[in-house]
Amino acid sequence: MGRFRHFISVVILLIASTVGLRFLFEYIFALPIAASAEAGPIDTLFNGHYWMIAFLFSLIMVFMIYSVFVFRRQDDDETDGPHIHGNTKLEVGWTIIPLFVVLGFGVWGAVTLNEITRPKEGEMTVNVTGKQWIWNFSYPEQDNLGSGELVLPVGRTTVLKMNADDVIHSFWVPEFRVKQDLVPGRETTLRITPTQIGSYKLRCAEICGLNHTLMEADVRVVSDADFQAWVEEKSAAPAFAEMTPEQRGAFWASAEGFGCVACHSQDGTPGVGPTWKGLYSHEVELADGSTTTADDTYITTAIYDPNAQVVSGFNPNIMPQNYRDQFATREQEVESAEAIDLDIAADLIAFIKTLQ
Amino acid sequence: MSAATVQTTHDEAHGHEVPYATQIRSNRLGLWLFLFSELFLFGALFTSRFVLWGNTRPDLSQEVGLLATGVLLLSSYFMYRSETGAAYGDQKRFLRSALIAALMGLLFFIMVVVMEWNVFGLSGSLFGIELFGHLKPSDGVYGGVFYAMTGMHALHVLSGIVLILIIWWNGRRGVFTPERHWGVEATAIYWHYVDVVWIFFYPALYLMGQPA
Amino acid sequence: MLRTLKILLTSALTKGLVGQFVAWALGYGFIAGLRALRGMPTPWLYEPAVAFGAIVSFIGFLLAAGVLTDWLKWVVGKRTPLRHGTPEGKPEWSRYVNVDYNHKVIGIQYGISAILVLLVGGIFAIIFRIELAQPGMQWLTNDQFNTLFSAHGIVMIASILLGVGAMVNYLVPLMIGASDMAFPRLNAFSYWVSLPAVVLILAGMAVGGWDTGWVGYSTLSLRAPLGVVLFLLGFWINGFSSIASSINMLVTATTMRAKGMTLFRMPIVVWGAAAASIIQLTATQTVGVALTMTVAERVLGLNFFDPNGGGNPILYQHLFWFYSHPVVYVFVLPGLSIISELLPVYARKPLFGYRWVALSSFGIALVGFLVWAHHMFTSGMADVLRMPFMFSTMLVAVPTGVKFFSWVATIWEGKLPKNPPTPLLFVLGAISVFLIGGVTGPILGTIPTDLHLHDSYWIVGHFHATMFGGYIFPFFAALYYWYPKVSGHMYKERLGKIHFWLMLPAFWVMSIGQMSVGLLGMRRRVADYDPALGITTTQVLITLAALVIGWSVLIMVYNFISSARSQPVAETNPWRSRSPEWQIPSPVPEFNYDVPFEVVGEPYDYGLAGSVYTRNLAPAPSGD
Ligand code: HEA
Ligand code: HEA
Ligand code: CUA
Ligand SMILES: [Cu+2]
Repeated sequence: MGRFRHFISVVILLIASTVGLRFLFEYIFALPIAASAEAGPIDTLFNGHYWMIAFLFSLIMVFMIYSVFVFRRQDDDETDGPHIHGNTKLEVGWTIIPLFVVLGFGVWGAVTLNEITRPKEGEMTVNVTGKQWIWNFSYPEQDNLGSGELVLPVGRTTVLKMNADDVIHSFWVPEFRVKQDLVPGRETTLRITPTQIGSYKLRCAEICGLNHTLMEADVRVVSDADFQAWVEEKSAAPAFAEMTPEQRGAFWASAEGFGCVACHSQDGTPGVGPTWKGLYSHEVELADGSTTTADDTYITTAIYDPNAQVVSGFNPNIMPQNYRDQFATREQEVESAEAIDLDIAADLIAFIKTLQ
Repeated sequence: MSAATVQTTHDEAHGHEVPYATQIRSNRLGLWLFLFSELFLFGALFTSRFVLWGNTRPDLSQEVGLLATGVLLLSSYFMYRSETGAAYGDQKRFLRSALIAALMGLLFFIMVVVMEWNVFGLSGSLFGIELFGHLKPSDGVYGGVFYAMTGMHALHVLSGIVLILIIWWNGRRGVFTPERHWGVEATAIYWHYVDVVWIFFYPALYLMGQPA
Repeated sequence: MLRTLKILLTSALTKGLVGQFVAWALGYGFIAGLRALRGMPTPWLYEPAVAFGAIVSFIGFLLAAGVLTDWLKWVVGKRTPLRHGTPEGKPEWSRYVNVDYNHKVIGIQYGISAILVLLVGGIFAIIFRIELAQPGMQWLTNDQFNTLFSAHGIVMIASILLGVGAMVNYLVPLMIGASDMAFPRLNAFSYWVSLPAVVLILAGMAVGGWDTGWVGYSTLSLRAPLGVVLFLLGFWINGFSSIASSINMLVTATTMRAKGMTLFRMPIVVWGAAAASIIQLTATQTVGVALTMTVAERVLGLNFFDPNGGGNPILYQHLFWFYSHPVVYVFVLPGLSIISELLPVYARKPLFGYRWVALSSFGIALVGFLVWAHHMFTSGMADVLRMPFMFSTMLVAVPTGVKFFSWVATIWEGKLPKNPPTPLLFVLGAISVFLIGGVTGPILGTIPTDLHLHDSYWIVGHFHATMFGGYIFPFFAALYYWYPKVSGHMYKERLGKIHFWLMLPAFWVMSIGQMSVGLLGMRRRVADYDPALGITTTQVLITLAALVIGWSVLIMVYNFISSARSQPVAETNPWRSRSPEWQIPSPVPEFNYDVPFEVVGEPYDYGLAGSVYTRNLAPAPSGD
């Protein structure tokens, strides 16, 4: 066979392989459904890359496998191959062409990035806070409404303003395609325009310590009307002054409050911190071997100065050590809005008492 | 053969190891590669300073800083004299200058680590100049960067001093000859290098940006 | 038996480990003592004491093992002739557990350590892969899972660096016609210092583990359990090994080449090793700074990264990736040059575009320095930085492509054997695997697609493919290819083929599976996943594939151990290579070339009748 015939065969194989692989990718490289406007241009770019991957992989592999099978020598054949040193034109060609291809993809990427990050009309802001290992959302335009789940109106661009309390976390809902880290000490933003009503899961994508796996929150995309209804229902929740200390305690412990539940279970399942079930007025064994009774003083110390008395079997330094300040700030906030004399730690203790 | 092996090692004689001249060529290249590598160490610290401090700097004693810099620069001159002394076989100049360079290095080290570092709880003043710094390691990024940069540099100064003392001690025992004094040459290059690093560190720490 | 035990117990290895332990205890005791003087009690596993002990411990290891002895003698002005050959009255193998200065011994020490460490890292992977096969937690806690995958990552990277050391040390002096590396003692230092580093990392798992992954991002690393300090210090100490060995390699290749060996007549492996060394020489320092800062922030209370004191957590990422991106090319450049070396031998054709292939290594290394922030596209770093890093990242594809195209052109019309021997199989496998790893890179380089893929299993698939294709497969190819040179015996071909045919398909399943689940929403570094993602079947397949890979590697280990005893003596040049090391007896004599050679032709001129690469010079006048 002459060189030309070889090339014809290879080109046919190459086309078949490229198309075949691209077809295969629909199955092995399937993406989740697209539920945001941002997903549109991103998926188009994905598609472009998939074609390039299929083509480049085929290009090298077809040539390689073809050579392996067509030009191979018999076991007893000791002769050498043709003495070809190289070919400068070819080398320049396969330097320049990929150069333009990758630059093209770079431009494509830049245009797409600009499209998905540029400010859009009628944006709504949601503040997102991530901390080990809990998500918290608040809606500044809806009277600072706080929530443990993220509820978004469909078709409206939401700007997420994100902060981390302790370590880096990352906001990722695969159906929305985009991802953004939450970095302690600075605010990061992410734009999402949900297009499909439905329920999704937000999962933290950046390793953030022990329970990174479990750092999830529900995301609901709802119609405008449902969103309004949800906001009203949420805002109508009783004021702190109208709640019992136990109810308040349960609220403080939840993701919307201070997120104690991320580490302390209420039903006895093991966690990062001791469970609250059956804690109050019971014996506690400490890491230094001594025992003590879980009374009000003990629990208050455990909240404000968690390293003072570490419970046996648990690690120090896991629990944040600034709850005294956090509580004080929050107490002031609430007290300036409602006529109430608040003691968050006491509320929590009242709540813990109910978990027997 | 035995007479000829006086100047060569066992390995050279057997043709297994490269001759001294080639070995020195390798040594020299190796040393410069090492110094090139260290450039990235100091470069990373230097960059961190600009990332973390931006256009500000902590309040440091200008007098002590200037004096320390002067002393270190001067020590480089003596190191140079020492090396040429070794190269020309002037044993006395070689040894004496090496010792002076080491002492000045020590002085620099004391000024930075004992006086500028606020870790030994010292205080006092001379001619109305505060002798001891008040920046603590725990003073946020100012403490962090200052202690990291001066500390890493001081570590190099200290090892330089140890190297000088080693060549001084060996020099006294006549280990070096005008033909064979790689140890002296290497120490000198290293000392100048540490000096040059400080020329970049000093303005970055003491001069640039607004005092905070 | 008793003699073996005695040699082992008095070996530098044992002494070093004991020395490390003793020094650690002393270092710990020193801090505890200082505290006691001030009337402060020291709690068990008090972090500054453990950290100080760890730093002292590696010096203890080196001192006790005798790695520093010669240098200390220099300090007091003593001459220290190099010891050569097997010490009298000791068996040959005892050289490998003692401090030896011969580059081939050190190369083999590196190689064996690399395989052992690979097995350790592999066992970690297999343990946590079994956990991941099914949703729900089966047999690990979150804590154990985090420690295992973090240790898996860093232990594997340590293994790669050891393996690269093996290839460079054994091959470079041989290929350039030198009798040894330029600095034999520094060479021994590079090897021995990496052992206490591995010990520290493994010890870190015992004292609480850590949960930061191999990247150790701040501020998580500031809050992680104690184990993280030992991980950071182990990583840091390994840096000494990298820097020292890169200096050694660069000097050796510059000053010790055979007569007539101009730059463009060097074997391609030397090019790859040189490019990799330049990266190791420089970038290692910046990660050293990042690691030092983290330890200082934890132990000494300095502030760099914690925003509460004004620090900047992103700074850590920049310093870290300034090293850790280029270092991926340290892993692959030697491996890729092995591919370039072996293909012409088997295809009986010159390496196509030798100069382009040689220079592309440098191209990759240099562009590799400009792309580090592509790991941080979602980190919230300044927006003006995202675009330039996107374009620079895309550029790396160009010099890498040159290599691929040249390989294909080399075997096009080349005469590969009909029944490919194991090294060739691994080379061809490497090309296919590195290719899929490579082409899944640009999709990460364009930011919008990376926003979906970042920190998903797509990344895990991408980098296992690049590292297996660029390092593991070529390394195995090199092990099989030079095995007869090193041991003097041929490996068992059948077992080699079984190894390959188990490992390649299994790897494909594992890597494609990882990419696939990543696209569907599987995050990295999670101990558990939601069955609703619909990825359970794939996860099971990945785990099964991992087990197959594990078994196949064990077959290789068995092959090498058993062949050294039972196989007949190998021919001198079983592959009909032109390279100089194949022209001398196997195993290679103590001083490599009894007769020095001169380079008179091109290295890869297969197929040109009558051409030779090297010609022996007149024998050197012998000493004595
Ligand atoms: C040996 C290791 C290795 C190698 C060689 C590479 C090669 C490349 N890598 Fe990879 N990478 C890793 C190891 C490696 N990587 C690791 C370990 C991580 C994760 C770290 C962590 O977070 O833990 C990572 C992560 C990583 C990221 C970060 C992803 C994220 O976390 O969000 C990115 C982003 O750009 C990236 C890109 C690339 C690119 C563009 C290449 C290029 O070099 C590839 C070039 C090759 C080709 C493109 C194929 C051949 C070329 C042709 C056939 C020519 C024609 C080509 C075109 C026209 C495109 N890699
Ligand atoms: C060269 C590097 C290298 C190699 C070879 C491997 C090999 C393997 N890797 Fe690893 N991997 C990394 C480098 C590497 N990895 C890195 C850097 C990370 C990132 C870590 C991070 O996120 O920080 C990672 C992360 C990583 C993850 C993601 C973890 C997570 O994000 O949660 C997974 C998951 O599947 C995985 C799997 C595997 C498997 C199954 C193998 C298999 O190929 C292993 C095969 C097994 C063996 C080779 C061992 C054989 C031995 C035995 C079977 C027992 C023998 C017993 C005795 C000798 C006593 N790896
Ligand atoms: Cu938060 Cu992972
Ligand atoms: Cu990278």
